[in-house]
Amino acid sequence: MNNIEKYNKVFMESLGVTEEQLAGLEYTGVDSWDSVGHMNLIACLEEAFDIMMETDDIIDFSSYEKGKEILAEKYDVAF
Amino acid sequence: MNAVITGSNRGIGNAIMHTFAHNKYNIWACARTPSESFESEINQLSKSCGVSIEPVYFDLADENAVKAGVKQIFSYKKSVDVLVNNAGMGHGGTLMMTPVSKLREVYEINVFAQIHMMQLISRAMTRQQSGSIINICSVGGMEVGKGYIAYGSSKAAMIWLTKAAAKELGEFGIRVNGIAPGLTDTEMGHYKSDEEIQKVFDRTVIKRFGKPEEIAQGALYLASDAAAFITGQILVIDGGRVI
Repeated sequence: MNNIEKYNKVFMESLGVTEEQLAGLEYTGVDSWDSVGHMNLIACLEEAFDIMMETDDIIDFSSYEKGKEILAEKYDVAF
Repeated sequence: MNAVITGSNRGIGNAIMHTFAHNKYNIWACARTPSESFESEINQLSKSCGVSIEPVYFDLADENAVKAGVKQIFSYKKSVDVLVNNAGMGHGGTLMMTPVSKLREVYEINVFAQIHMMQLISRAMTRQQSGSIINICSVGGMEVGKGYIAYGSSKAAMIWLTKAAAKELGEFGIRVNGIAPGLTDTEMGHYKSDEEIQKVFDRTVIKRFGKPEEIAQGALYLASDAAAFITGQILVIDGGRVI
């Protein structure tokens, strides 16, 4: 499984969304991505990519696309 | 079960490490400075109890070091069932005699580092959907007296934070409780003058120092499933000083 597949899988499993919903998906854009869902999503991403995110990055992680940008730029995850 | 204990090389933290090991917890024993005597103590305890005890060294005042320490803990790929946020520092000083720099130093260890540990460790607990965090607070954060501006207010902050964290982390199956020890027979407990100690005994029902092991038993209880319905509480173990 490559990194984008892994990233998508975490989103779909932790937020209960479909692959079609991922593009453009934003924080609070679906009921499951509330503050609780956010913490769960971050915890699952950290485990999947074996990283430990900075609090500032957790706050900035505001969308599916922004998350990819953060992981690529700050945590060397190549998409 | 696996537990992270900060400040495990002395005082209450050390007693908690021994008590948990004797009750079959595997332990990440966190301390600031590596020492041969501590490692030898850990090895003996580990062998006699048949559990794994791994030393993890980091300075709680150094944010990056804390992260590195927690990364080391996570690298074992084991569940983190319990965090005992124990490390702390004492300080006596009145409002007018406590420099802001000292306040910052006390808050750095007694508050900010504890929050940081909870933030990092709760990520693993969130994934597990279970965990128990025990913050070692103090009756000094409940009983308002002269001369403990930095220490007392930092511990009061921890009491509030414990309750707030319990509300926020409960959704992830994480319980957060605190212990407020009274005067305890440790190096830190003896930083008060004899006169101050006597004053404390005078207003305490059981007129003696608490034993570190007595505080450790409270931590063991809060960590266990026997306390599965307890969260957001501060267990006062002080011989009847704050009633």
